[in-house]
Amino acid sequence: MIVKANDFISFLKKVDKEKIDGFSEVIVPAKPKYSTNGHTYFHRISEDNEIVLDSFRTVDPIKILFYLVRESMNSEKTRNTKRIIVGVKQCDLKALELTDIALINKNFIDPGYKHWRENTLIISSDCGEIGENCSCNLMDGKPYPGKGFDINISSIYDNYFLQAGSPGGEKFLVTMSSHIGFETCKDVDTSEIQKKREKIFASLEERNLSLRAKRDFINLKLSDLELWKDESTSCVGCGACTNICPTCYCLILNDETEAQEFMKVRSYDSCQWNGYARVAGGGTPRPKMFERFRNRYLCKYLYMKSNFGLYGCTGCGRCTEACPGKISFMKVVKNTAENFSEVAQ
Amino acid sequence: MNQFNQEVAEPIVNPYEVVPAEVYEVIQESPLIKTLRLKPERKFPFKTGQFIELTIPGIGEGPFTPSSSHFIDETLDVTVMKTGFVTEYVHKVKIGDIVGLRGPYGSHYPLEKFEGKDLLILGGGCGLAPLRSLFLTLLHEVEKYNSITFYAGAKTPKDCIYKDEVTGWRKYPKVKFIRSVDVVPEGEEWNEDVGVVTVLLKQLNIDPENNPAVVCGPPIMMKFGTLDLLKYGYKEENLYLSMEKKMYCGFGQCRHCVIGPYFACKDGPVFTYNQIKDEEEIWD
Repeated sequence: MIVKANDFISFLKKVDKEKIDGFSEVIVPAKPKYSTNGHTYFHRISEDNEIVLDSFRTVDPIKILFYLVRESMNSEKTRNTKRIIVGVKQCDLKALELTDIALINKNFIDPGYKHWRENTLIISSDCGEIGENCSCNLMDGKPYPGKGFDINISSIYDNYFLQAGSPGGEKFLVTMSSHIGFETCKDVDTSEIQKKREKIFASLEERNLSLRAKRDFINLKLSDLELWKDESTSCVGCGACTNICPTCYCLILNDETEAQEFMKVRSYDSCQWNGYARVAGGGTPRPKMFERFRNRYLCKYLYMKSNFGLYGCTGCGRCTEACPGKISFMKVVKNTAENFSEVAQ
Repeated sequence: MNQFNQEVAEPIVNPYEVVPAEVYEVIQESPLIKTLRLKPERKFPFKTGQFIELTIPGIGEGPFTPSSSHFIDETLDVTVMKTGFVTEYVHKVKIGDIVGLRGPYGSHYPLEKFEGKDLLILGGGCGLAPLRSLFLTLLHEVEKYNSITFYAGAKTPKDCIYKDEVTGWRKYPKVKFIRSVDVVPEGEEWNEDVGVVTVLLKQLNIDPENNPAVVCGPPIMMKFGTLDLLKYGYKEENLYLSMEKKMYCGFGQCRHCVIGPYFACKDGPVFTYNQIKDEEEIWD
């Protein structure tokens, strides 16, 4: 299905304004006016923001829209919005795949996350550019969605090629067709999309060639602790990497009970912080910075893989982008995975 | 929502929900340890060995293993040592106060594996709390077990807890309840064993090949207790350790209590030694 890009954007604005199909909010990647570097952020759709659907991923990880930075666990009042998130990239869809298993499973359901998942339509889009730290290809990812979306859009000239990925997506396309005109897809168009995808992927491959690590991630655990000390020298333990990581979901609960109603408020925690998992008497599991630093890598590559069958890294590169110590995540992975000695075992 | 291959159960109650409970008795067990006896607003069933989160309103919460029998679900005992911020407030709680409970969480002692066996329970300090729960639960159906040997350690005679109950426990024919204190300070009276609790293992007269042992206590005691039992001939898979460490949310979400790929709160707190022996820093 093909639709004119302008028509599509106007329709999204209309949905947001007129609550079409019950969707009362449309969130898009938008470029702030002051931005000079092409970075985009999730914003509610409006006339003021420049909407960017075919660049690379947003600065914000997708989790901030599903697993809120700070959320009360008692009140359902604030959660009554049905919404659409547009322009989600493959790296974030992959992150949702992991958090879906972590936060909605047979032993545990996070009520907040589940609510947002059930009330959000995801319209993903192909990456038309690659960001400075994009490295999904190193984690078996592609710069275009394969699954996990309700609708995916691929831009082609001044049009969007729309593909439904779920019954909810199909239903929305039907609604859309009653508002704007469609053209049937011609063969030449799809091959053009495929060519574009391949081109982007090839440039990613080329750019990240030097960062590709051997795939024995168990070596991260076996590698010499001295190596981890070296790698973490510029780490200040600020926790930016975990807070911005789309698969980090460690939490702390604050007790904000007033009167007789017990109230728990959940917010993000970070294993990079000294106080993480500190217990009565002052004990902490990893008192040294390099131990906490190392834990993040082991968690992403070994623990999460064993817990969920998926790596905790989607290659979005946000941790590298956010790091004030200029630590490149992928470089650390490569160095520690490859430079371990037999003696260290 | 998109479909991923995962098993989703019927929605359980809000896992963050707190059940209010009234304190109906406070027992000062030792200078640092108190037992709160609670009456929850609704029945609060658990299995011995599982833990709960105890909330002091407006202050915070901490993980504790109930110290009462799991055959009782209308009330609940929690034994708490004063050791940090939340526990300081736990010790200020008075009769009639309302506290909060979340849970129960985690794994429990596999009672069926103890049936017909000569069970050894080795504990020290506040680690006796979950062991009292186990012990009282076992006593409820004491005919199912061949014998129960309970070695309990404390720093000094003053630090011994559950003092008033010991005499009653010792009356059971199949039960051996032996206590030891590390030191007897001048002026204190003590006519039972002296030395760290593991010295009691010298008196042990159980075939270690096919019998289980349960260990709970401070990390250093857990470590040396476990190593001594292995030396004595116990099998790794028959050693049950209560790895009560760093549990926080109770359902494996906050990842505070990870022991390698395991979660103390979800896969534990009761582990067998062979489950976790290869993980890093298990005794910290």
